[in-house]
Amino acid sequence: MIWEVFRQDKPGAYHKHCGNVHAPDRELALQFAAVQHGRRMKTHSLWVVPRDEIGEIDTDETSFGGTTDKTYRWATSYTDIEPAAPEVAESEAEQADVERSLEADS
Amino acid sequence: MDLETVKERAGPRQFAPKDDMPEEYRKAATRMLQFHANSEVMGGYLEKPFIRQAPSIDRKLAFSAKVQDEIGHAQLLYRAAESLGVKTRDEMLDELARGEGKFLNCFHYPMESWHEVPMIAFFVDGAAMHRQVTLKNTSWTPYAHAMDKVCFEEGFHVKHGESILSELMNGSKATQEKTQAAFETWWPRIIQFFGPTNDKSVHNDFAQQVGLKTKSNDELRDTFLDTYVPKAEKYGLVVPEYPRIEYDEANDTYHVNEDDLDWDEFWTIAKNASAGSHEQINSRAQAQEAVEWVRESMHSWEGASGAGTPQAAD
Repeated sequence: MIWEVFRQDKPGAYHKHCGNVHAPDRELALQFAAVQHGRRMKTHSLWVVPRDEIGEIDTDETSFGGTTDKTYRWATSYTDIEPAAPEVAESEAEQADVERSLEADS
Repeated sequence: MDLETVKERAGPRQFAPKDDMPEEYRKAATRMLQFHANSEVMGGYLEKPFIRQAPSIDRKLAFSAKVQDEIGHAQLLYRAAESLGVKTRDEMLDELARGEGKFLNCFHYPMESWHEVPMIAFFVDGAAMHRQVTLKNTSWTPYAHAMDKVCFEEGFHVKHGESILSELMNGSKATQEKTQAAFETWWPRIIQFFGPTNDKSVHNDFAQQVGLKTKSNDELRDTFLDTYVPKAEKYGLVVPEYPRIEYDEANDTYHVNEDDLDWDEFWTIAKNASAGSHEQINSRAQAQEAVEWVRESMHSWEGASGAGTPQAAD
């Protein structure tokens, strides 16, 4: 049985997928995950999930969108407006990062 | 975990669903999250009519995207609230529909003209973001994670709102006057966004002690004023004489004279007991009823055998 492993490096962070382990049950899956995925990397917590329990949909099956021009929904589009507050500037910077990654992939 | 340990350990993203949290903490966090989630729903419904009334196709698209975002934020927050194990999502939505769920004071007032739109879309959203960014450091991790996504999206809302304000305040004299009038109506409500002053707040101290809140109502209100009073003035809006806003030179910050605000009205609203409260709750019920056929058709489609491949919304 295959268990997908998600590692959280510090309290409050997101659990991110980091690999998988073979194990007959949850208890051993946790032990194997701790050894294989927790030992070398900075780890605060691990999740294990049976692979069969994970649903997936990908670009072969659906179109995720993103092809329509939706510039109106990005803070970066309102170029004549300076961010009103630091938190607005921060949000805009996060959006600009995502926009750049979309452009890099296209 | 006992309450003393919670207070000792309280800090950003300290507690997660796997921790055994005391009932006081779970109830306080549920109350905060449910209020926040309800406010996203009610704010979305208040702004929804302006998708139709928007003066241009760009505004219409942006407004529709924004309302969609707000309802999405509500879903995230109900999930984070559910993770405390006190109330289910359905219970919270039922309470809101029955008029028992509490929500933000600003969303208990009708909004009728386009000139009022930036009062919500710029000032209230700006205030919301000012508060939400501090909640990225709340002690309940699922709440902080919801704030990561909310704040990511919210920058667009605030800039779009400011863009509308800028357009109105660069419009005809009549447009500017109507916008100023809307500002005078909404300004005291916007200041009350941050809730009662610390000394009158029932929940503030506990929420800070256990790390659910990292800033007090008063701190948030003052720093909001520091940023948004100059912004209002930049666009030619005149801040009304009352409530008195005083500049504290020593600390380089603005304070509001709280006695000038109508706290009777605020507490009536806090109990969902104002005329506006009933109007907003009922108008949402009517909207819910009007689109019941959509839910029904979705249920019957989901119930049908062999439902096809879901299509992502483009």
